[in-house]
Amino acid sequence: MPRWWRTAAVALALMLAATACGEAREQPLRSPPAETAFPVTLTDDEGVEVTVEAQPQRIVTFAPSHTEILFALGLGERVVGVSGPFDDFPPQASRIEPVAGAGGTEPNIEKVVALEPDLLLTAFIGGEWKDRLRELGVPVFTTLASSFEDALEDIETVGRLTGAAEEAGTVTRRMQAKVETITAQAQSAGSVTCFLELSDLFTVGPGALEFDLLQRAGCEPITADAGQPYPQWSPERLVRDDPDVFLASEYGQPVAQVADRPGIRDLRAVREGRLFLVDGDLISRPGPRLVDGIAELAEALHPDLF
Amino acid sequence: MRRQGTMIILVVLLVAAVLVAVGVGAVWIPPATTIRLVAWKLGMAERPHGVAPSVEIILFQLRIPRVLLATVVGSALAASGAVFQALFRNPLADPAIIGVSSGAALGAIAAMLVTGGAFAGGLVVPAVAFLGALAAGLLVYRLARVGPAVQVATLLLAGVAVAALISAVMALVLTYSGERIRSIYFWLLGGLSARGWESLAAAAPLAAVGVVAALGTAGNLNLVALGEERAAQLGLEVERFKRVALATGALLAGAAVAVAGVIGFVGLMTPHLLRLVLGADHRRLLPASVLGGALFMVLADLAARTLRAPEEIPVGAVTALLGAPFFLYLLRRQRREAGARA
Repeated sequence: MPRWWRTAAVALALMLAATACGEAREQPLRSPPAETAFPVTLTDDEGVEVTVEAQPQRIVTFAPSHTEILFALGLGERVVGVSGPFDDFPPQASRIEPVAGAGGTEPNIEKVVALEPDLLLTAFIGGEWKDRLRELGVPVFTTLASSFEDALEDIETVGRLTGAAEEAGTVTRRMQAKVETITAQAQSAGSVTCFLELSDLFTVGPGALEFDLLQRAGCEPITADAGQPYPQWSPERLVRDDPDVFLASEYGQPVAQVADRPGIRDLRAVREGRLFLVDGDLISRPGPRLVDGIAELAEALHPDLF
Repeated sequence: MRRQGTMIILVVLLVAAVLVAVGVGAVWIPPATTIRLVAWKLGMAERPHGVAPSVEIILFQLRIPRVLLATVVGSALAASGAVFQALFRNPLADPAIIGVSSGAALGAIAAMLVTGGAFAGGLVVPAVAFLGALAAGLLVYRLARVGPAVQVATLLLAGVAVAALISAVMALVLTYSGERIRSIYFWLLGGLSARGWESLAAAAPLAAVGVVAALGTAGNLNLVALGEERAAQLGLEVERFKRVALATGALLAGAAVAVAGVIGFVGLMTPHLLRLVLGADHRRLLPASVLGGALFMVLADLAARTLRAPEEIPVGAVTALLGAPFFLYLLRRQRREAGARA
């Protein structure tokens, strides 16, 4: 049965993500990036010290966000392997060799080794496969972002690891400026309450990347008292709190079907036409397109402003 | 006397559990308000004043249908478990273990993929789930059939093998179906969150037919429990009866799985617990399982939606956490008593 290990793995991953990020993110980050001299040694978000000996020429990404980051840094040419079909942006990434094994939760080690990479970047938690690859001489670096700031820091970290620190600084400064503009505009519009559904009333709480994005886009999620980043929410509480806007992360179902469920169909937001589907890729991938994700959220939350 | 008493206690406990489950939830509604609202809906009182519309929605669109659905799902799973345990003459026989639940789940997934998602109400998903359960049951039955008769041990082994095969097929289907069916993962996990009247309307008729049919098999299940040869000597058309019982168990499992996903432990444990108290006579055990399964499921779902409110806990985890220790305790006590008698 896939259901056990999958859900267990996801739950564990999310838990670890929350703690790992809580611990590792103390120091402020916007220091001007120094010109990288190799070898570079950095500690990743799982506390592993990773050394990259020389500027990487053959990089495997095992997370669509890292694929997007490398392309944004102008290093798309050096990506020789990606996780799989979800690495769909930019479009030319779809043509790169996929390395995911069956199930998609870990890479096929043989495929990775055959690509002879000098760096593997991932946003997946844990897994023995990382140790295996490190033993085989492939540096494996894990980033786990639970906020927009984390994501910016990760982009800069990837820049340092790949000798593109300057480009990374340019990308993150631009992202930060855009988001600050959106946040300022959204805040001027006054506060709006919202609920973001990932699937089947699974939602986001403090500690989830998406939760941070919602706040930056100018909304107070009604799930602020959640005890974990990705809880399944009580429909009773959802009906009682009756959010101004209901956002559903796109999962292949038309609005009518998302709306037509017990309790949901009676929500004020649904009856008054403020149920919006948002592109899950834009808000759940800690990469350069988070800005577009925040813009999309802000547009749904404050349609008269954007 | 003790046995009659047990049935009465079960009825009382079930009624009490349903009342508590309707009264308590993630959002607090004062009992007086609940009573007045229910009385109004039943046409026995005026519409109460000053009650927020959201309270009405919570009570009538979310909580009450969910509690009723819990009784239906619990009854169906427990009755299915009781039938299979008797039919296979094996205490481990359970719709989940012999492949029938997997068949139902595969059928439901296929229906959902075609109709476009786990939210689809109506009778299509339960009906296809039943067909999946029945197909799995018949496949197991055919595989185990050697010559004119079916050996129970072979039946069980074939069931386990078919369950493994279907689970593997399901894993492959889900792995390669992409993001579109993410909600099906959550549905497979089992649970009653945000199920409403549509789900109840879909499951209740099939479950009702299944429960009536199961109660009808009780006397013959007693005969089969004596051994197939003996049952045949006593005038039972054993092979025909086994097919009927198999279809009954499949119908019950299909109805439950279609609306609530795969929830473990209820079908396996409820009949066992009650057998320890009531003995093995299926004319008592089956109705008691129907009541006991409903009681267990209502309580498990109550815990799932309130213990960590406003978050929900997977109900399958609750059934296992509540069920396993209690079951082990009863099992040990029974063994100790048996040891003391010997």
